[in-house]
Amino acid sequence: MPRSEPLRVAVLGAGLIGIDLVTKIQRSPALSCELVVGRTEETRGLRHAAALGCATAAGGVDALVAGREPFDVVFDATNATAHAEHWARLEPLGTLLVDLTPSRVGHMVVPTVNGADALLHRNVNLVSCGGQASVPVLHALARLCRPRYPEYVEVVTTAASVSVGRATRLNLDEYIATTETAVRTFTGVADVKAIVNLSPARPPAPFRVAMSLVVPGADEDTVAAHVEAAAAEVRRHTPGYRVTACTVTDERIFVAVEVTAAGDRIPRYAGNLDIINAAAVLIAERYAARRPRAGATEELS
Amino acid sequence: MSRTVDEHAEDRPRIVIHDPTLRDGHHAVRHRLDAEQLRGYAAAADAAGVPVVEVGHGNGLGASSLQVGRARLRDDEMLAVVREALPNSRMGVFMLPGWGTGDDLRRAVRHGADVVRVAAHCTEADVAERHLDLLGETGVEAQGVLLMSHMAEPGRLAEQCAALVSYGARAVGIFDSSGHYLPTDVTERITAITAAVDVPVIFHAHNNLGMAVANSVAAATAGATIVDACARGFGAGAGNTQLEVVVPVLERMGFDTGIDLYALLDAGDLAERTLMPAPPTISSESIVSGLAGVFSGFKNRVLDASRRAGVDPRDVFFELGRRQVVAGQEDLIVDVVTELRSDTTLRARDDGGRGAARS
Repeated sequence: MPRSEPLRVAVLGAGLIGIDLVTKIQRSPALSCELVVGRTEETRGLRHAAALGCATAAGGVDALVAGREPFDVVFDATNATAHAEHWARLEPLGTLLVDLTPSRVGHMVVPTVNGADALLHRNVNLVSCGGQASVPVLHALARLCRPRYPEYVEVVTTAASVSVGRATRLNLDEYIATTETAVRTFTGVADVKAIVNLSPARPPAPFRVAMSLVVPGADEDTVAAHVEAAAAEVRRHTPGYRVTACTVTDERIFVAVEVTAAGDRIPRYAGNLDIINAAAVLIAERYAARRPRAGATEELS
Repeated sequence: MSRTVDEHAEDRPRIVIHDPTLRDGHHAVRHRLDAEQLRGYAAAADAAGVPVVEVGHGNGLGASSLQVGRARLRDDEMLAVVREALPNSRMGVFMLPGWGTGDDLRRAVRHGADVVRVAAHCTEADVAERHLDLLGETGVEAQGVLLMSHMAEPGRLAEQCAALVSYGARAVGIFDSSGHYLPTDVTERITAITAAVDVPVIFHAHNNLGMAVANSVAAATAGATIVDACARGFGAGAGNTQLEVVVPVLERMGFDTGIDLYALLDAGDLAERTLMPAPPTISSESIVSGLAGVFSGFKNRVLDASRRAGVDPRDVFFELGRRQVVAGQEDLIVDVVTELRSDTTLRARDDGGRGAARS
């Protein structure tokens, strides 16, 4: 159903992810950022959001449910352990919750792989930045291997230290578990390992994800073509996504991708924020194109 | 040391020797030590009175991977074997958040680990906060260590060490993961750290520039009281501080290690016979790795990839150093080798094949 009015959205969490998300929401004609919520007043993140022209509030999820009318979409940019409570509070209101924490509570969505699923669930989980960068390629390569499966898949994410906020640092275990679960789910491969590096290099290194698959008999040209096709799909929402290495040696496929944040206020190296936030906004925009506002949704479900 | 003449052991300052032969040495043999090798060396180190014997994959708990190498044994197997071989010595483990997780730590504690090191790269101490907190409830000695420490200034390292203490670390310190330091660098850093914390300070050297023993001595002199050393220096690349050398050197300087010299020398001989094809040497690539400030453990990967692509591994190390890679970023080796190969090809075409001279 086409809509003229933008959806009313709110961002919960005013860290690095939350603030970049605000700038992306503000560019979208389908979304209106009505509130940015932090835990406490006078944090740098909330001041930043206010400077961007957003209404801000402290008090966490309480501030979101206090309003008279529920938000159409809430983006959870807090941390994995807090997310379950946020969902419990928002679920009764009919709000679409787009979860950017590695909580594994909601339905995992990677837009180019199962983007349509987002419209069937009210709690959509975006896995992790490493998941968003790796799953499109791994999914394509797993399909290429059919009817067999790769024996093993490994994903190594490297993010610039300055692009990784406190919540992510405290959630490294959840980040690993959630990324591994997503790779298993989207590839069908049981033996999966995820690894995270934070790079202290100055100037900061671009966000990078290296993938290794143990697959007998892969052909390098065919692999390269499938990887590039998957990357082209991702570039539709994250233009700075590119393949930097693609090799096949000794029954092992190796693919590295780097993501630079293009055309935003965040620095170029912060591709980790760019890719997961671009996915979040894309999902909300698709929802905007298909759904009426919260409170009027019962007849559709 | 029981076989040196000294009647005043109780008056001498104590240095705790921490022996990661069975962890760091794994880098030199592609993480392929078997149970018999682990058991034999652990028993020999125990017999010598080495206070802490560390075991695990080269990158620590949970780190067996294509990225750095797949271990022959599972963590559980390694810990069970070594625990049984250490009636007296404490068992140590190492974990880098992002590679291992809280579950790995809990399993290691159940296996009887006594000293648990949680690591972070030089400026990233806060990634260890949650894991050090978790260890606080277990009763083990939790330590916090900063890897690739040459990348940060002394004051910054001191701040980061103080943060590790605030998270619950009962000892903190620095690793010279690239073997880049000279003794004065170590003195400056250990002095800054000892001034900032009131827990024991740790130093872990690599030998890329032949400085490992000298740097360890500088650390002890500046106030470090936990010194890492491996039998025959068995470790990544050019190896680590050689255990059988640094112990008697520290004893001659007046420190007390509590280690028996002959039994220690026997453990070193056994290590050379049973753990390694040859003791570590300072190869050309290791010198370059130390100069460039690249983690010593990259050596085998760089040699493999360079050989396949026909590029000079020394160029690869300098380029990795320029990019300030940290341990764990082994995946960048492929990209760097590929770039250098195309550079070399282009240059050969442009200048009639004079080749790639490094500036």
